[in-house]
Amino acid sequence: MIEITIPKLGLTMERAKLGRWEFSSGDAVKEGETILVIETDKVSFDMPAPSDGIIHPIVPEGITCAVEEIVGYLAKNREEYERIIEEHPFGEAEGTEKVETSQAGAVSQAGQPATMPPSSVGPKGRIKASPLARSMAATNNLALSAIAGSGPGGRVVRIDILRVLEEAPAIAGERVERPPQEISKGIAIKEISESIPIQGVRRVILDNMHQSLSQSAQLSLHTEACAEPLIALRERFSRDGEKVSFNAILVKISAMALRLHPRINASVEGDNIRVWRQVHIGVAMEANDALIVPVVRNPDIKTIREIDHEILELIQKTRENKLSLDDLANGTFTISNLGFADIDFFTPIIRPPESAILGVGRIIKKPSVRNDHVIPEARIGLSLTFDHRIIDGAPGARFLKTIKEMVEDPLLMIS
Amino acid sequence: MSNREISCSTALREALEEEMERDDTIFIIGEDLVAHGGIFGQFEGLPERFPGRVIDSPISETCIVGSGVGAALTGMRPIVDMHFADFVTTGMDEIANQMAKIRYMFGGQAKVPMVLWAPDGGGLSAAAQHSQSLESWFVHIPGLKVVAPSEPSDVKGLIKAAIRDDDPVIFFQHKRLFAQTGHVPEDEYIIPIGSAAVKRPGKDITILTYSRMTYLCLEAAEQLAKEEIDVEIVDLRTLKPLDFALIAESVKKTYNVLIVHEACLTGGFGGEIAARIGEELFDYLDAPVMRIGAKDVPIPFSPVMEDFVLPKVSDVVEGVKKVLNR
Repeated sequence: MIEITIPKLGLTMERAKLGRWEFSSGDAVKEGETILVIETDKVSFDMPAPSDGIIHPIVPEGITCAVEEIVGYLAKNREEYERIIEEHPFGEAEGTEKVETSQAGAVSQAGQPATMPPSSVGPKGRIKASPLARSMAATNNLALSAIAGSGPGGRVVRIDILRVLEEAPAIAGERVERPPQEISKGIAIKEISESIPIQGVRRVILDNMHQSLSQSAQLSLHTEACAEPLIALRERFSRDGEKVSFNAILVKISAMALRLHPRINASVEGDNIRVWRQVHIGVAMEANDALIVPVVRNPDIKTIREIDHEILELIQKTRENKLSLDDLANGTFTISNLGFADIDFFTPIIRPPESAILGVGRIIKKPSVRNDHVIPEARIGLSLTFDHRIIDGAPGARFLKTIKEMVEDPLLMIS
Repeated sequence: MSNREISCSTALREALEEEMERDDTIFIIGEDLVAHGGIFGQFEGLPERFPGRVIDSPISETCIVGSGVGAALTGMRPIVDMHFADFVTTGMDEIANQMAKIRYMFGGQAKVPMVLWAPDGGGLSAAAQHSQSLESWFVHIPGLKVVAPSEPSDVKGLIKAAIRDDDPVIFFQHKRLFAQTGHVPEDEYIIPIGSAAVKRPGKDITILTYSRMTYLCLEAAEQLAKEEIDVEIVDLRTLKPLDFALIAESVKKTYNVLIVHEACLTGGFGGEIAARIGEELFDYLDAPVMRIGAKDVPIPFSPVMEDFVLPKVSDVVEGVKKVLNR
């Protein structure tokens, strides 16, 4: 008789939900066949049969169990099976939803709503557009490559831009089917339109967000940096038209800034402030309706290209739902980029047990004063939330200032 | 206010009469002026009205322009009649090297307040030596002002400004427009040199034109209006100095430009305007600036061939559609 237990898939994994049994009680299974799909916060895992046998699940699907908890048995033969079903009837397991939400579940991150900014790598080659269309597109932040030209030879002209601008709200606004609404008469009525169970990833996010804000003292600072050097650096790193992402550069900048301000790279553990030797930076992404924060390991000792490559891999894994728990664990700092949604500044929420998170805003041209002249200049918004329990305002501000200085002069990264 | 309509010829004569009445330093010199009242009858009545101030000259443009320059230097305000604009070639040294440059070469101590009146343009079967539009030669000579009006009221207002100007002005008046009538106010007015005018407001495309082509473009605009193309017509009136502010205002409204002149295309003034629009209004252009001008050949005598060579209403209609990709 073999006990089927919830495996510990990552160092920090505490519990998992039984997603689906692939076999019913009494079915014969072969070694290696998937018998059970379990779901952790953000990854699902196909559990193979440890050997040939007759399966007998005891925990129903949808129940959350602790790691190592027995959820079923594998009998060597019919006789053993008969005995097992007598001793362990289906549904007898203790487990389950009673398992307390672990507060230490560092994996069950949550963080803040965020995703990677959309790629701005345009197709190669010149786009035909009238000068007016070009300046209109620039003014309205439209990508010419995405606009069909109706002018001679497919040239993008004014009416094409006007058409896109007219259509834009329709494209941006999602169409949502709504049940017909009736205006309730008399007393105010509040009816439930939809009820979404708070479970799985949502439960984790909810708990973590609440824990974060209720158990630490969060302070957010905002600053703005000239983004021209950042843009220039990205251009210089482009190879065969493949650009590194702004996030990769910002991960590197944050890592180098953390090296200069090690006390930011810390956690509260009991009566101690633990300053971490390693820097691991989580990059907030949006996946399947939920926030997920895979972690780039040791970006302080990696090149920007390596970091970029790693982030791309993490994005790929996120999309394909193939992140391992270790991809998510043990971050020491987080970056959340909301620039894609035209956000300039925000107050990101720390992912416990981390103590700081960088919120990155959009890059946009703004009037800037240089030598008493107003010039157009690309600017980027930077927000830093940190745990004021262990990081005072001044050191927090100095850390953000270091990041700003590195954004404006990336050479400082190697200082 | 009266609604009187008079011809360009009458408007010119009226202006000269009023100016000569006002200022007795003004005189007219040219060929066959007293006997015929000018080759187009444009000076009719003036020799009788102002005896001795309308002077017939020998048949020598060198002499005629030279006399004008000399008289201007002594404080007179001569109006030199070129008979046909084509004849400036023989007076070219006096125009380009003397008339245009004297003020500069004497450090501003001398001035040449004269008008070179030059009837130009084709369309009268007058053949290659009597049908040219030569304005682009003169915009290329610093020191000259170049005027080319279309309607009678502009002729009157601008010739007055030209006479009163202390610098030499070449005043091109299109031969086909002498009989063109239009409203001219009776009260005195002056149209400053260097001011263009919107002759037809529109929103889809700007046509920059001058002289006779203004009428041609107005006709084309009426046709295009039927196809819901709203054309704005800017009559430049003065080519140098150019009223670029008004051009810019119009282009910033329509984003499309067609330039129409009767002079042949290559080296024509349209190229100059197009270049400036490219330099200064690039971001407002939704299509390349296009030009329409006469074909690059001497103007033929045959009416059929002359019609073929000179810009037509249909050329303008097609040009507009090409710019607008319609």
